[in-house]
Amino acid sequence: MVKPITRPSTWSSRGPLLAIAVAAVALGGTAGPAVDGWSPEEIKTLRSLWIGSLGPLPHDPTNRVADDPTAASLGSLLFNDTGFSANGRVSCASCHQPQNGFTDHRPIGKGIGVGKRRTMPIPAAIYSPWQFWDGRADSLWAQATGPTENPVEHGSTRTEIARRMQTRYADWYRRVFGPFPAVLSQPYPERASPVGNAAERAAWASMPAAQQDAVNEVFANFGKAVAAFERTLRLPKTRFDNYVAALVSGASTQALMNPDERAGLRLFIGKGQCTRCHNGPLLTNNHFANTGVPPRPGLADDVGRSDGITLALANAFNCRGRFNDKPGQGCDELDFAILKGPELQRAFKVPSLRGVADRAPYMHQGQFGSLERVVQHYSTAPAAISGKSEIHPLNLSREEQRQLVAFLRTLSAPPAKASR
Amino acid sequence: MRGIGWAVGSILALAGAAAWAPCPAIAQDNSAAHQNLDRSLDKLSKNGLFRVRIGSTVDPIPLNEIHSWSLNLSDASGQPVSGAVIQFDGGMPEHGHGLPTAPRVEPGTAPGEYVIRGVKFSMTGWWELRLAISANGQTDNATFNLVL
Repeated sequence: MVKPITRPSTWSSRGPLLAIAVAAVALGGTAGPAVDGWSPEEIKTLRSLWIGSLGPLPHDPTNRVADDPTAASLGSLLFNDTGFSANGRVSCASCHQPQNGFTDHRPIGKGIGVGKRRTMPIPAAIYSPWQFWDGRADSLWAQATGPTENPVEHGSTRTEIARRMQTRYADWYRRVFGPFPAVLSQPYPERASPVGNAAERAAWASMPAAQQDAVNEVFANFGKAVAAFERTLRLPKTRFDNYVAALVSGASTQALMNPDERAGLRLFIGKGQCTRCHNGPLLTNNHFANTGVPPRPGLADDVGRSDGITLALANAFNCRGRFNDKPGQGCDELDFAILKGPELQRAFKVPSLRGVADRAPYMHQGQFGSLERVVQHYSTAPAAISGKSEIHPLNLSREEQRQLVAFLRTLSAPPAKASR
Repeated sequence: MRGIGWAVGSILALAGAAAWAPCPAIAQDNSAAHQNLDRSLDKLSKNGLFRVRIGSTVDPIPLNEIHSWSLNLSDASGQPVSGAVIQFDGGMPEHGHGLPTAPRVEPGTAPGEYVIRGVKFSMTGWWELRLAISANGQTDNATFNLVL
């Protein structure tokens, strides 16, 4: 076990340094005095939530260019290119807006049309083994291919993705992935996909198998380049991180969190039981839970994970598919996944809480407009409309709810002025 | 024999640590409700037919990461029991859900030794780990408590 580095305010979250440097401060054991009102056991918990405990990005053997800087540069271009959409106006960045924490402040994402769930932020998700609210992709690169063919997101098809890669990014492609598939120098349909509408599926069926395979390969590589870019995104250090850094280094914590925020933090790790799921330095277990959040009216029924795992298994771009760059590796999550059972019903991804105050509305369909409403939900814990909610009423007082919200607001970067 | 098994476990643990530096330390849950739980990971099965000893191959037990546990099975007289069919299951009684993964028990290298692959804990708190054991024409089960 590598101990997290203890470093004051100016470090970046670049991972490998953490693995090398072991600057352990002897806190977190069971003995020792309380610091700033926290017991040694509580300080151990606070450290576990601190960004300083975040190690390097998990290696992704399924994507050979995951950490290739050229692939990341290409991925950045692809991420921002509206030419991969049916109307020429939608890119990944249209919903995953860098200036808004890679989300869009909408209850439901809007691309070519209106989707059925809220846009998820990216920087914390790059550590997750499962992507999307229902975990229907088992890698970052498999995820990146999905929205391009979704009729309400990019509304494109994989042959269009392949053709644009061929015509606009040929040189980039060669540098990152090698020669473009020769079989695609022969004509192939404009819009074709095995998962499209009837006409697109028919066009796909008309293609020779070698061309289908080549299009799929280019399509997977599109996702792999986007994933390489996403893996370069870094989580900003928050006010909470500054507080814990000061706490463990013995510096003054006086000005870093006010009494309400500290009281909220105590609730977060104690009575509120928030760290049961929102644990670790990403403040998420990257798993799925039914928390009884009522569905947004007017949308088709959405059962979350119970459909998501079925889709993940059927996805041709999962770790068992032929585009895994290290067949047999990187598949533990899918190999040991729970495939059915009542707890998958209406279970949705537990999101990271980093930057949470900056990205209202909340929950998988933007059901709640404010953090106050979210905390109220956890305090009352209504039953789920189907499946079983895992949460129990916390019965927090108004004062406690206010404090918990105050703490959640410390999970954002300090105002620019204060950080200088 | 057992010593070798645990040595292998230690090597796996080191390998795990190298590949998975980020694992957050788990802060122990000391809530009063868990104080009286039997937390022994070495016990007789319910009807006393087997002695079962389990332990994580990664120390400390990581949160949110798939890892393996070792399992040593012997009969009442202390003889290692190989060739058993063992089902591993569990969950969080206070939250009404099972394990986040579906682990599998596979034979290990030494007599009476097994490896539980695909174990993951996604939450702090009280976990029950349940084993159903069939060997030598007999079946029995064992339940362990783990508080993370």
